[in-house]
Amino acid sequence: MSEQQYSGLTGRIVKYAIHNSTDVYRLGFWVGLVSFIMITLFPFYWLLVLAVTPDNQLYQMGIVPENFNVGVFLTVVQEYPLHHYIFNSILIATITVIVCITLGSLAGYAFGRVDFPGKGPLLLLLLVISYFPGIAFLIPLFELLTGSLSILGTPTPDLYNTPWGMVFPFTMLSLPITIFILTTFYSQIPDGLEDAARVEGTTRLGALFRVIMPLSAPGVVTAAIIVFIGVYREFFFSFIMTDGSPENWAVLVYGILNFQQQHTQMYNMMAAASLIGIIPIAVLVILAQEHIVRGLTAGGLKE
Amino acid sequence: MGEVNLTDVRKEYEDVVAVEGMDLTIEDGEFVTLVGPSGCGKSTTLETISGLTTPTSGTIEIAGRDVTTKPPKDRNIAMVFQNIALFPHMTVYENISFGLRLRNFDKEEIDRRVENAVEIVQLEGMLDRSPDELSGGQQQRVGIARAIVREPDVFLMDEPLANLDAKLRVAMRTEIQRLQKELGITSVYVTHDQEEAMTMSDRIAIINDGQLQQCSPPLECYNRPVNTFVAQFIGSPSMNLFDGQVAGEALDVGDFSVAYDTTGTPLVDGDRVTLGVRPEDIYLADDAGDIAHPSTPVAVTVDVLEPVGDQTYAYLLAETDGETTELLMSIDPDKEISEDDTIEVVFSRDDVHVFDGAGDAVVHSLVDPSAAADDVTVEGEA
Repeated sequence: MSEQQYSGLTGRIVKYAIHNSTDVYRLGFWVGLVSFIMITLFPFYWLLVLAVTPDNQLYQMGIVPENFNVGVFLTVVQEYPLHHYIFNSILIATITVIVCITLGSLAGYAFGRVDFPGKGPLLLLLLVISYFPGIAFLIPLFELLTGSLSILGTPTPDLYNTPWGMVFPFTMLSLPITIFILTTFYSQIPDGLEDAARVEGTTRLGALFRVIMPLSAPGVVTAAIIVFIGVYREFFFSFIMTDGSPENWAVLVYGILNFQQQHTQMYNMMAAASLIGIIPIAVLVILAQEHIVRGLTAGGLKE
Repeated sequence: MGEVNLTDVRKEYEDVVAVEGMDLTIEDGEFVTLVGPSGCGKSTTLETISGLTTPTSGTIEIAGRDVTTKPPKDRNIAMVFQNIALFPHMTVYENISFGLRLRNFDKEEIDRRVENAVEIVQLEGMLDRSPDELSGGQQQRVGIARAIVREPDVFLMDEPLANLDAKLRVAMRTEIQRLQKELGITSVYVTHDQEEAMTMSDRIAIINDGQLQQCSPPLECYNRPVNTFVAQFIGSPSMNLFDGQVAGEALDVGDFSVAYDTTGTPLVDGDRVTLGVRPEDIYLADDAGDIAHPSTPVAVTVDVLEPVGDQTYAYLLAETDGETTELLMSIDPDKEISEDDTIEVVFSRDDVHVFDGAGDAVVHSLVDPSAAADDVTVEGEA
């Protein structure tokens, strides 16, 4: 191999790269990291720029804001019932999480710790259902939950404008993933611990809630977070099951959409509301993260 | 208070019969060990007593109550597990008091009992620790404390020492024995280690293929095994078994024969029999004078010698007409014997066991057959 091959600028760069591979790897790492962070954080930056730009300058907006209108955050909170929307969202998400974890625990116990005929096919069915897009159920579920159907002569309850109109479909959509996560975690708890709890005086259910669930805390918390976030940001059912007024349990995404009226589109308000709406989720994840770490380190199972 | 009664218990798993026709009565305060090879059904039997498994048929009574279909929590039992099974998310105190708290005992009563239990198992000052801060032996002590704190009718122990190292195992063995005598609680102990069974129990229940073979005090199992399985399972190293047949006034094994008059036994000329001789009941012909009733000497060659310290195991080959029979004997290590030597050995005729063609014991001594025939033990005695 002659020196000739390394002539010219490109050649010199290639030569340098070959002889200093560590530097190249490091460069690659930083390029990757910076791109990832930019892709992840840019939307937040853009939301911020959008929020603080006065509404008459929105159409010539650049990458850097030219005017700061920080007051928009106050306006959003004071003049619109944003807190009410957020409250509705949190409440509905919380109810869904409780229902999902409770039902999911029972199912996860059965799938993870009990042998019964048809277990495999049933899990497969669950998996198949979980892959259906929620929107596929939109019309039938709307009919079902607004009292438009009658089953065996009994009309279905009208849940339009109630939290249950959303909790039901959300639970249905979130249960499969919850069951899968909890099945995995519950199946890893040694049988001996459950046996010990039962001999000591619990029922199977008691053992589930007193021993298996606490020991699976990381899994339970993970499932809860996934469900909570999923519900918090869900749009279709939130949009279709209420009329959009906060008194009728309209959630945050509907509230944000309400800034877009027939003739005006208050993008800065929407951006500000979105940023505020992120806060509860951010707080939740930070708190839960601590819990997950604690759950993981407190383990130490002896098998 | 704590009698346990199993009547015709049977447990099937899909197409496997794990336990069959199990009849077992454990007296109040008795320490009974269920012993047998892996997969013989001893743990399944224990599980049916604990209620973790429901038997396919049969009944189980604890303290006079039929508990066959009752869940574990309603049986007033406590259990110590092989994998220790302490709740890792609870402290030692919370572990020990778990059962009491579930039953809504007073805080003071709980504290009093926990303190008492901790004192018995010598774990004072560890109540606030979490189980993973304890050593294996300490963890198993917590397991035992958790069991005794509830003052149960019956203690169930499923190979509680199997996960401990050899030295600790022997120490804990004595400790469990002492504890059981002190508390006087009926105990059922499962192990696959015949030595553990021999040293700890009031009675040993030997199980094979899901069936109870014999349930007797340890020495009776050793001296009067009901069949070839028990004979080989109890005692270490195992009993020598020789297939042979009744030939006139002798039991002929091929390479050698032992004089024996079968009058008064169910055996007749030509019957297949199995002779059982423990390694410790074989002597060198030179020492025949030390035993009361030596057999005629058998010439053997020494194949392999295994010194274990206090004695040496000698694997011997008896050979005639190209057929060989293997024997195992234990010799005093001071004897000067080396491999490939040809020596003569004798059996102590008092200790030769005879089993019939089905493997059931006929007699346990070849001396004075008329007297021995009177207490023939056959399967089903237990």
